[in-house]
Amino acid sequence: MTRIPLSLSINGQTHEVLAEPHRTLLDVLRTDLGLIGTKENCLVAECGVCTVLLEGAAVNACILLAAQCQGRAIVTIEGLAAAGRLHPLQQAFIDHGAVQCGYCIPGMILAAKAYLDENPEPDENGVREALAGNLCRCTGYQRIIEAVLGVARRETV
Amino acid sequence: MVTFDYHEPTSLREAIELGARFGGDARFLAGGTDLMVQIHRGRLNPRHVVSLQCVPGLDAIEVDGAVSLGARVTHRRIETTTDFQGSLRALVEGAEVVGGHQVRNVATVGGNIVNASPAADVVVVLLALDATVTCVGSAGERTLALDGFATAPGVTALGPSELLTRASFPRLARRSATAFLKAGRRRAMEISIVCVAARLTLDADLERCRDVRIALGAVAPSAMRARDAERYLEGRPLTDPVMREAGRIAAAECRPIGDVRASARYRALLVATLVPRALARCLERIGFPAS
Repeated sequence: MTRIPLSLSINGQTHEVLAEPHRTLLDVLRTDLGLIGTKENCLVAECGVCTVLLEGAAVNACILLAAQCQGRAIVTIEGLAAAGRLHPLQQAFIDHGAVQCGYCIPGMILAAKAYLDENPEPDENGVREALAGNLCRCTGYQRIIEAVLGVARRETV
Repeated sequence: MVTFDYHEPTSLREAIELGARFGGDARFLAGGTDLMVQIHRGRLNPRHVVSLQCVPGLDAIEVDGAVSLGARVTHRRIETTTDFQGSLRALVEGAEVVGGHQVRNVATVGGNIVNASPAADVVVVLLALDATVTCVGSAGERTLALDGFATAPGVTALGPSELLTRASFPRLARRSATAFLKAGRRRAMEISIVCVAARLTLDADLERCRDVRIALGAVAPSAMRARDAERYLEGRPLTDPVMREAGRIAAAECRPIGDVRASARYRALLVATLVPRALARCLERIGFPAS
């Protein structure tokens, strides 16, 4: 299989990789770059665990070709606490007990970040709607919603 | 997954040349919410994937005179377009119930049309707006009515190397409104059990129906117009009994199947319920509380 050189901008850093054209961003993040904070599950854009930010918008990395991402800024969960300090959303998820098994949480936090960046003063319905593409099988969602609303009330994100 | 060659043309002409060169071996890629899933599931195995993301112009929304939606306009763009918050509100209502934000950020109008799902929500709205689609191939450009463009689930009149570039529809007449309603088992991330779009134009006295379109999703092999119900309504006053009768007529002319999501009978019952509700919502939006 022919591999093509890709230059990917992830969390502000440029990564050069060689990858077959059919490989998804999710696959390249986890397998080639070791960025395993982005989770893998349904692979058909249903569950949201692979959510990353592409030019600031939440997208499912499982249906995005790595080749499509050249020249476009990608943020993964690893990019949120880059300076060694938790992002306010991450802290809020801990403070509100919004994390149980944790598998859906990176996607939840990135979907929430994309939403709060556009809507700094959200209501509960807006948050629920924004996270509709992220499935959680543990928490019942309530504490996740409260964590996101808590961030919006306390400080800008 | 078998690999493919990836192409990223930077002009419409180049995209069409690639489509013509590879024919049935190639697939155009827009948002990927359908294509990538089909490839992942092994249902499609293209040798060439031609990304449209660098083709200029395909993401344009034009609203002077006729309204035109470029093939790469995303569902999120429709939701957030100011021009669609008024009498074209059904477009927003159809777009905002598709998937979650992650899907709507990338899923496109063009993909929704060429994917030809019987349950495609935005297609149902576009049918009610008398939309046409523009297809470009090496033989030139042609414009087709959206009604009839999908010929079976997943099948359209698009030629093997043609590219759908936009959907267009005429600006609404005065005294018009639109509405879209969808029934599913949950409110988000759901494929329609039934969806209904209506476009209603009242006569100058605001008493009778001058012109109406009713489009139905997920009750036939392709999204369909309820023409019998439309004919029944024309010239009639929009009273509750008249709107309910239109619902019964639409239920009689749709051709639903029973599947994992709902029985055929339940789908027909939903049509009979949702059609009068969509009409009543149009009336309210023109400025009349339902009687």
